[in-house]
Amino acid sequence: MARYRYPRIPESEVTPRELFESRRRLLRGGLALGAAAVAPGLLWSREAQAWQGLLEERLAVELPSRELADGESLTSPRDITTYNNFYEFGTGKRDPEVYGHRLVTDPWSLAIEGEVEKAGSFALEDVLAGQALEERIYRHRCVEAWSKVIPWVGFPLADLLKRHGPTSRAKYVVFESIHDPDNLRGQRRSIIDWPYREALRIDEAMHPLTLLAVGLYGEVMPNQSGAPIRLVVPWKYGFKSIKSIVRIALVEERPTTSWHARNPEEYGFYANVNPGVDHPRWSQARERRIGESGRRETLMFNGYADEVAHLYAGMDLDRHY
Amino acid sequence: MRSRLGLISAFRWLVLAGCSAPALWLAWQWFFGDLGAVPGEAVVHFTGMTGLTLLLVTIAVSPAYRVTGWVGFMAARRQIGLWAFFWLVAHMLAWMGLDQYWDWPWIRREMIELPYIRYGVAALLLLVPLAITSFRRVQQAMGYRAWHWLHRLIYVSAALGVTHLWVLTRADYLVPSILAAVLAGLTVFRLVDAMRHRQ
Repeated sequence: MARYRYPRIPESEVTPRELFESRRRLLRGGLALGAAAVAPGLLWSREAQAWQGLLEERLAVELPSRELADGESLTSPRDITTYNNFYEFGTGKRDPEVYGHRLVTDPWSLAIEGEVEKAGSFALEDVLAGQALEERIYRHRCVEAWSKVIPWVGFPLADLLKRHGPTSRAKYVVFESIHDPDNLRGQRRSIIDWPYREALRIDEAMHPLTLLAVGLYGEVMPNQSGAPIRLVVPWKYGFKSIKSIVRIALVEERPTTSWHARNPEEYGFYANVNPGVDHPRWSQARERRIGESGRRETLMFNGYADEVAHLYAGMDLDRHY
Repeated sequence: MRSRLGLISAFRWLVLAGCSAPALWLAWQWFFGDLGAVPGEAVVHFTGMTGLTLLLVTIAVSPAYRVTGWVGFMAARRQIGLWAFFWLVAHMLAWMGLDQYWDWPWIRREMIELPYIRYGVAALLLLVPLAITSFRRVQQAMGYRAWHWLHRLIYVSAALGVTHLWVLTRADYLVPSILAAVLAGLTVFRLVDAMRHRQ
């Protein structure tokens, strides 16, 4: 079977790539020298973990080329890891970086439940065993009207779901994040009804663009970005791409999701990136690309319309926002 | 007498230092690139929070004087009020320049379409006549009664400012709640105080 070719980000979205190039050389040099064993992760440090060593070795071997077209623009690792929302650590954009070290990722297990033939709780190393990893460079558009271009490392969610055999009653896929108020200071305040929950329709979940990511910039996922395993759905607003997943359940009825429950007028179930449907309090027509000045026009389905528009054929997207 | 005036003078210097220090801090952070991935946004947030806080401090001056009886507070009130105005003008300019990049059609559009921008603009516009009439000569020409009436607009402006912050907040209402509670407390104090004096 041919490998799925996800749409590359065109050259028009350009920022200097010198920074990335120099970092890449540094990274490869470091891995080649085996420095990773001494100081795991050059971008972010973390303690040695059962699954981490294995993953690091594999990232070095299985990602021989970054498949970047000339002039493609990546958001810098620093900007990706120091400016994001992860309310489990606090509502400030820097809170995830500052408090991320409190997230305990080892051991990590993933519960897969509901309408599947093979339900159960699985250690992360078993989930990753035998699963091919690949790098995907995706646009990431936050509902707050900022965006990034991020080189994720992961595998299609469909791969995992197929292995567990969804039954014919599996219509939706529910995801749940870790709940650990002792370590996650943001969960001590009820800004959201913890734990964080998200969901996709089964066809969205099975779409080859939908990724379970375990790495970033060729390295193990940093805590503040949703370690050890997170969802990436590039045509939807960022809040759909749930982080630090502990539970995946396949269900028949459409479930309630966290932001939608908090404010259904402002956050729809679908949350597809749509410049034509404004958030009630701000415009979604433009976005701030982190690292650039000025604003970009926001693209329908975040630029992935060719891949995903058919999923919503006949739906009124003004109503099903 | 001399030492009392000395204390008041020292307090006014302290206010000057306290209200300008955030600018030094901001310049320092900007210069060393410590404002994060989106420095413009950080400047907009910082100037806005500083301005709104100082606006509430300005309102708190008169109650502080009522409670303590120390005239030094009143001697510094105009200065604090003008600093609040300065920070809020800086806030608007930072939003226009560092956030909107002087894109006038969009600035216009956001001012018209977005409620929180409207509240913010209204809050700042209401402060303009207060800033203009804050000089002693204008105050004397107006007469104290008229001046006093006009300057009650600061309560309306502060309420619009808190509303502006409230409406743009996405989920965490801790800070806007605190500011709203402070403003409500100060307003109640003022009303009760006015009623007591009328009797």
